[in-house]
Amino acid sequence: MQVRDSLRMYNNLVERCFKDCVESFRRKELDSTEEKCVQKCTDKFMKSSARTGLRFAELSSQAEQQMQQLTQQQNR
Amino acid sequence: MASPEDIAKGLRVAEQEMEYRVDMFNKMVSTCFDKCMDKRYKEGDMNVGETACVDRCASKYWQVTGIVGQLLGGQGAMGQ
Repeated sequence: MQVRDSLRMYNNLVERCFKDCVESFRRKELDSTEEKCVQKCTDKFMKSSARTGLRFAELSSQAEQQMQQLTQQQNR
Repeated sequence: MASPEDIAKGLRVAEQEMEYRVDMFNKMVSTCFDKCMDKRYKEGDMNVGETACVDRCASKYWQVTGIVGQLLGGQGAMGQ
């Protein structure tokens, strides 16, 4: 499942950065602006994904603690 | 003692839960990226504003998940 998820992320990222960075089709090679854009796009997405992951883990663990507290209160 | 059927069911539920969480996470990443990032990609790093935006976006996304979950749960749509 992890492999499938990584592959899906890869495809999504390619699509996203292509859509955001490539506008003209006068040539069949990417120019240096487009290339740099794709690099920054990928870089930025990975960093933003890591940050979101951090917050997601925090929010998950907070929610779990609240659930445990609720369950404990109910069992009294 | 749990029967084999119970164990199998437990595993299925855990697997579904896992897939649901992974899906939620992926959507959160994608949504917050779209909402927060400057698409001109001047830098490969997030600036301070973008970083703060991601933090708040994640928090709000989670809250929305909770609200929708409550409303759907009330109609018995979940857990199937």
